[in-house]
Amino acid sequence: MNLGSIESLAYLYPEGILLLSILAVFLVDLCVDDKERLGNIALVGAALALVFTSGLSFFDIRLIEGLQGAGEGWLFHRMIALDSFAIFFKVILSLSLVGVVWMSLGSREINGPNQGEYYGILLASGLGMFFMASATNLLLAYLSLEFVSLTSYVLTGYLTHNRRSGEAALKYLIYGGVASGTMIYGMSWIFGLTGSLDYTEINAALLQNAPDQLTLFIALVLMLAGFGYKIAAVPFHMWAPDVYHGAPIPVTAFLSVGSKAAGFALLMRFFYPALSQSGDAGMWQFVPGVEWPQLMLIVAMVTMTLGNLAALNQYNVKRLLAYSSIAHAGYILMGFVVLSDEGLRAMLFYIVVYYLMNLGAFIVVMVVANNTGREDLEGFRGLAWRGGALPAAAMAIFLFSLTGLPPLAGFIGKFYLFAAVVKGQFYWLAVVGILNSVVSLYYYARIVKTMFLDQPSDSEGEVTLDPHNGSLLAILSVATVILGVYWAPVFDFADRSTRFFLGS
Amino acid sequence: MLFNLGNVLVFSILAIAFCAVHLALGKLLRPHNPEAKKLTTYECGEPPTGGAWINFNIRFYLIALVFVIFEIEVAFIFPVAVAFRDWLLNGQGLFALTEILIFLGILVVGLVYVWAKRDLEWLKRLQPTAAEAQTAAKESELPKAA
Repeated sequence: MNLGSIESLAYLYPEGILLLSILAVFLVDLCVDDKERLGNIALVGAALALVFTSGLSFFDIRLIEGLQGAGEGWLFHRMIALDSFAIFFKVILSLSLVGVVWMSLGSREINGPNQGEYYGILLASGLGMFFMASATNLLLAYLSLEFVSLTSYVLTGYLTHNRRSGEAALKYLIYGGVASGTMIYGMSWIFGLTGSLDYTEINAALLQNAPDQLTLFIALVLMLAGFGYKIAAVPFHMWAPDVYHGAPIPVTAFLSVGSKAAGFALLMRFFYPALSQSGDAGMWQFVPGVEWPQLMLIVAMVTMTLGNLAALNQYNVKRLLAYSSIAHAGYILMGFVVLSDEGLRAMLFYIVVYYLMNLGAFIVVMVVANNTGREDLEGFRGLAWRGGALPAAAMAIFLFSLTGLPPLAGFIGKFYLFAAVVKGQFYWLAVVGILNSVVSLYYYARIVKTMFLDQPSDSEGEVTLDPHNGSLLAILSVATVILGVYWAPVFDFADRSTRFFLGS
Repeated sequence: MLFNLGNVLVFSILAIAFCAVHLALGKLLRPHNPEAKKLTTYECGEPPTGGAWINFNIRFYLIALVFVIFEIEVAFIFPVAVAFRDWLLNGQGLFALTEILIFLGILVVGLVYVWAKRDLEWLKRLQPTAAEAQTAAKESELPKAA
């Protein structure tokens, strides 16, 4: 189906709910003096968006159909697509919104007279990501990317009296401006080559008469600046350590989980349905024969290697996790290179797993920072022996899962990625990926060692886990363990979600 | 293949050459007679005072941002006003009206927010943060203890 503006509104309820809750947060902020309640509105809004995206069913009784029952099609005159790929990412994004809002409610940094603005802008950022995941037109893709970027700058600089937060926001703004400027220049080249901004029309135009290869290659490289900046891939990763370091911890978690997932959605939707052609047996072929998989292969290798090597020498845990998230962008890109449904599936599955373990790790960092005000490795010294046994155990699970050790979800995610790479006969990529996993074990295990084996010095304060943060931490760590043993439902969901709507 | 971009190269060379030639011509033809008054910065006819590296009031930017609300309002209402006739003829006039009112409502929320947060006042008294309020309270307690 191809719906106009008015008919499309019926399929836009998750976004509508987010919009209403943003307005509600801002309006209630003006009316009440008790700012503690504002986060709850945001939480309800994010949870409702999740329910209306994924549907709600108990014991085979469907209470709310959700987007999944709505069929597929284009909305708003082919501006956005409603397909299983978009729904998958909307589920992930609303899950990260729920998680981050819950996390912010228990954060000391966020608590303050201006928290209404924080929650409103956080939800607005999520709204932009929803559009990023489903845009099928370069114009809307760019607008939604800018929307997400602008809100992220504000969120990064939320700590008004903190120099580091302001510095991070400014650096983010400058990098973001350059990256998106380069990207829109690349988009103008694509428009010049094909005469259209619509993904399907771009695809048809490229198929019909193959464009000049050098020109197309330059256009793609220019556009990669914008994509690479959102997913923090080398050479557009430089903002990540400073921004992750300076931003409030829930914002850092949101950038690493939500922003990265939305960036990957944008990247996959542009390179697969717009620039490639679905072939036999789940393989894709790039339309005019430009060897971009070779380019992305190098990007993936360099990204994971640089992320891991730079993380080795970090003593601030937020900064360390920033480099780790760069490395993980490299791992996920491995699935992108092989140009097959298998690779796509592995990427989607890894994004779910990455959500669980990375959000969990940031919650532990926040619990420690709430209690001691420290984010460096020294603040974790002997964490298990000064009241923080539960967060320390959860952190160990998340870190080992990030490494990819067997009984945990991270292993399954990496397994599917490597399987896709080996099946696509990119053996060198697989070797580099495995070597990188080994390297990453060092710095992840160092945190675990500091928490368990090092004795706490007397100056370190007690760390207590309040039930609010503890509950989310428990859910995430249990899910990380369970997904390492029984991953079929989530994997099936990812498998079903590799379908793009290309027109009926 | 590479020759397709040859036009671009020729254009860039011509553009650079154009600037260089004209600057050089001007340098050759114009009289060269510098004096102190001539070399001062041009500030709309006023004699320049002070350095350019001063702190601007951040309020300028806030007001500019508030202006954006109204600008967006106009930028979007113009096309709607043009299309409104067609909508009326299709019998969708009421729908179009509600839609534009919802749009205006969202923008008005922004304006109301700014107004209620007193960002439209030229001099806004900053509310002390929780931490500042605590230190202020402690400081006021200290003399009592002494």
